[in-house]
Amino acid sequence: MTTCIKKEILLKAENINLSYDDKIILRDINFCIKDIVRMDVKQGQVVSLIGRSGIGKTQLFKILSGLQKPTSGTVKLHNNQTVKAGDMGVIFQNYYLFEWRTVYYSLLLAAKQNDVLKGKEKETIEQYAADFNLKDELKKYPQQLSGGQRQRASIIQQLLKGSDFLLLDEPFSGLDVCMLDKVTNLLLQVSTSDELKTLIIVSHDIITSVAISDTVLILGSENGKPGATIKKEIDLIERDLAWKKDIKQEKAFIETVEEIKDCL
Amino acid sequence: MKKIFLPFGKISKQTLIIMIVLQVIVTLLVWQTTSDGLIPKPGNVATAFGQLLTTKLFIDNMFVSLALTLKAMLYSIIITLVFAYLSVIPFFKSIAQLIVKCRYLTLTGLIFIFTLLTKDGSELKLSLLVFGIVPFFTTSFLSVIINIDKQEYELCKTLGYNNWQTLYEVIIVGKADQVFEILRQNFAISWLMITMVEGLSMSEGGIGTLLIKYNKYNDITNVVALQLVLFLIGLCFDWLLGLTRHWLFPHSKLKQEVAS
Ligand SMILES: Nc1ncnc2c1ncn2[C@@H]1O[C@H](COP(=O)(O)OP(=O)(O)OP(=O)(O)O)[C@@H](O)[C@H]1O
Ligand SMILES: [Mg+2]
Repeated sequence: MTTCIKKEILLKAENINLSYDDKIILRDINFCIKDIVRMDVKQGQVVSLIGRSGIGKTQLFKILSGLQKPTSGTVKLHNNQTVKAGDMGVIFQNYYLFEWRTVYYSLLLAAKQNDVLKGKEKETIEQYAADFNLKDELKKYPQQLSGGQRQRASIIQQLLKGSDFLLLDEPFSGLDVCMLDKVTNLLLQVSTSDELKTLIIVSHDIITSVAISDTVLILGSENGKPGATIKKEIDLIERDLAWKKDIKQEKAFIETVEEIKDCL
Repeated sequence: MKKIFLPFGKISKQTLIIMIVLQVIVTLLVWQTTSDGLIPKPGNVATAFGQLLTTKLFIDNMFVSLALTLKAMLYSIIITLVFAYLSVIPFFKSIAQLIVKCRYLTLTGLIFIFTLLTKDGSELKLSLLVFGIVPFFTTSFLSVIINIDKQEYELCKTLGYNNWQTLYEVIIVGKADQVFEILRQNFAISWLMITMVEGLSMSEGGIGTLLIKYNKYNDITNVVALQLVLFLIGLCFDWLLGLTRHWLFPHSKLKQEVAS
């Protein structure tokens, strides 16, 4: 088993409830994400949030990122401060980009928000664009992009912004095989770029998502009760399924994926 | 052929031109056959139109009107933008909404007050025009602001923008192209008001005074010819403003292409 310890709490969701009018969407959501410390690696955290369509994943994202207030409950970060909009980078399901900005400018706006990139915004953008086949698209407006190009631009934009937390709503849909590999590799790279980097990934592509995660949260409804809650939390480190390159072929991994599917 | 009556049907440019030419010819024919003694025939109007364009009287008056309209539009858009941008601040919101409601004030009833407040004819005309136009501009711009997609604000927030930066990015920069669209859509209203306002203070001339004069002498041929000029200038501005918008803000063109 890979040796590591879980230390301080980075994010803590406490008793989150969300309802619209009388309809309960989310109920009693509690979980926390702890800093994983591994020898010799700047190991960040990767959490998969899995659940059926319409269960409330996007709503939970909005709450976690501070874009939306829950009906009750709080989201706290490691300094015990309540989360506020802007603390986290969020990549939305529909990959919205400013329609009036070219891709390059959109990326530049994000890069300028990141102090680490000061003075080398341009090179960094060009590097990303080259890596992700977006070089010719930099001059274009979002309207002129394909769905997948827009998605990559959207992901790069939030990466450039460089928040410790990155919430990704469906980052793998619409990518071709080659891009899928690139995006997963990039996410892995991001997750090991800093001790505190934490990615939360919502995806219907369970295999891809779980393969790069250390924890899986399953959002679902419990029999009889209205609203969705965290039904199950799977610690992949404990099962020795985290941070492995060819994990997808392992029997234990396949069993875990089946277990997750059964839970939905 | 069937396509020209099909909802959302797409027709070629050539078909479009043929169709428009045919429609114009039919209109002219109907006009020609139905007009009697009082209503001037198209041929007479065309002659009058040709003559009008060459007279100094017309050209001078036209410039007076155009200059006044453009000046009024410029002032109006500046005032509108200030109030529209401020409208996202709660303190100023009610003021902006009050301006919108001022659409229902007719200018005619306010002429007296404005005469008292201004020192000469040209100032009177300008202030009446601005007062008349601003509510319409503001209405258009506020509806643009209200219809802004939530995602635009959310993206700003995730980028860590504060409220002022968001105002700048989403409303000031993001909707700058709409300023031209609003000018374009409301040019007709300004153009309508100018003929009215000019009737109030005839000393400086203008298309409005010209119209009133021709009307007084029952010179209907010239009135219709003048109308034609007003119409064409309107079309010309429509086209120019659209072009400027697309040139300055290429993304606005893309949006239109997707929509059509
Ligand atoms: N503004 C709203 N008012 C009322 N109900 C809403 C609102 N927004 C979302 N919902 C409801 O909340 C539920 C959860 O929506 P959410 O978008 O979070 O689903 P999701 O898990 O992200 O689904 P998917 O995987 O399809 O994206 C849905 O049943 C939806 O109808
Ligand atoms: Mg969703």
